[in-house]
Amino acid sequence: MMDLAHGLIELIEQVGSREDLGEAMTAITRRLGFEFFALTHHVDVQANEGDVIHLHNYPERWAEYYDSMALGLADPVHRAAHVTSVGFRWSQLKKLIALEKRDMKILDKGRQQGIGDGFTVPANVPGEARGSCTFANRDSSQFPEAMMPLAQLVGAFAFEAARRLLIPPGDPACQDLPRLTPRQRDCALWVARGKTDWEVSRILGIEEDTVTRHIKMACERYGVNKRTLLAVRTLFDGTLSFSEIVARRYTPFRE
Amino acid sequence: MLHVLKSGDPLEVSVLRAMFKARKEVFVDLLRWDVPVLGDTFEVDQFDNEHATYLVLAGRDGRHLGSARLLPTMRANILSSLYPMLCEGEVPRSVDTYEITRFCLDRDLRASERRLVRDALVTSLVEHALENRIGAYCAVAHMSWFQQILAFGWKCRPLGLPQMVGGTMLAAARIIIEPDTPHRLSAAGIVPAPLPETAGRKAA
Repeated sequence: MMDLAHGLIELIEQVGSREDLGEAMTAITRRLGFEFFALTHHVDVQANEGDVIHLHNYPERWAEYYDSMALGLADPVHRAAHVTSVGFRWSQLKKLIALEKRDMKILDKGRQQGIGDGFTVPANVPGEARGSCTFANRDSSQFPEAMMPLAQLVGAFAFEAARRLLIPPGDPACQDLPRLTPRQRDCALWVARGKTDWEVSRILGIEEDTVTRHIKMACERYGVNKRTLLAVRTLFDGTLSFSEIVARRYTPFRE
Repeated sequence: MLHVLKSGDPLEVSVLRAMFKARKEVFVDLLRWDVPVLGDTFEVDQFDNEHATYLVLAGRDGRHLGSARLLPTMRANILSSLYPMLCEGEVPRSVDTYEITRFCLDRDLRASERRLVRDALVTSLVEHALENRIGAYCAVAHMSWFQQILAFGWKCRPLGLPQMVGGTMLAAARIIIEPDTPHRLSAAGIVPAPLPETAGRKAA
């Protein structure tokens, strides 16, 4: 199995263009026992031309529908990929996120168009849009269960190859991140934890007006006009981390 | 600045203490790893002995910015002692292979600083390897960290298939260090830049 892994990884690393990567991925996908692949950032692809990873061999009709509906954002598979870093089979979706009617519709529609079952490997590089590498089949009858660990590994390397080819280094808008002063960051943290300005002022032992001003300045630095957006943006770029806000067991690294 | 240290280094006690303290804040307080803590302040385990080498980035005032621990693979290390099952073949064991463990970015860094310190630490690891004839590193990583390790641009090869261990999916990788590795890093956007002189204020 490792010989196969190394072979596939070599193949991925040798690609020099988007077309090469597409061809290599088509071959690799078959070798893993799947028909379709998708390497993608979880964004509205039509609204984000240019520096976005979006490469797949899905049936054309499905891809058009998907992009036109901006499903990159709402797709339950993508949402599930945001709550785990481990690859998952779509049949496990309901264990990861709450599936709503709209989600079932999307999954049904996919099934009708020939994308019935899949395995998705989350790919998250901090400071950049979240993404994933998906391998999919028409239905669940020939799902290559034994290949899942290998698909997890190959998916990670494939996403990195896509990043290297499709995104200019240092580009993803993280060079000029807005910087908060330590006090602004403290206030933003307590806002993200759901506290009002008055509550924050009690916690930090400063005037309520001062808290309001810090938060206003922090919002200005991010170019947003709502406190909730400040929380979202600071979480997205890593100024704040989820583990600071929700105290729960969280073990991203293990060394 | 970069300090390359051994654990008993008498001249650098304060840098080492700051590192063990920072490790406790990151790995125990933030990431909730189940690892030993000394006196409620320092994260120190059985591999923090005279065989470990530390790469520590500190501000001019001595404050900890980031650090990593290197363990020789000729002796007991994390992969060989705790996670040998992550290697499909032999567990790496060679005089020119070191294990990277406890890659630690100070909890007090702001997002933009984290990136600078991270890049400086990765660059330092590669320079250290090239200066000391280290041909490869190995590392055990959770899958989310694995994707970041790949994103640094250096050449990585898996040592085995990812596996669920104690409720998390882990993988082991070999990081191959060659003369062109610095070039690969800079092509991936990992370039050394001036470091923040002092770590940011502690969050409330």
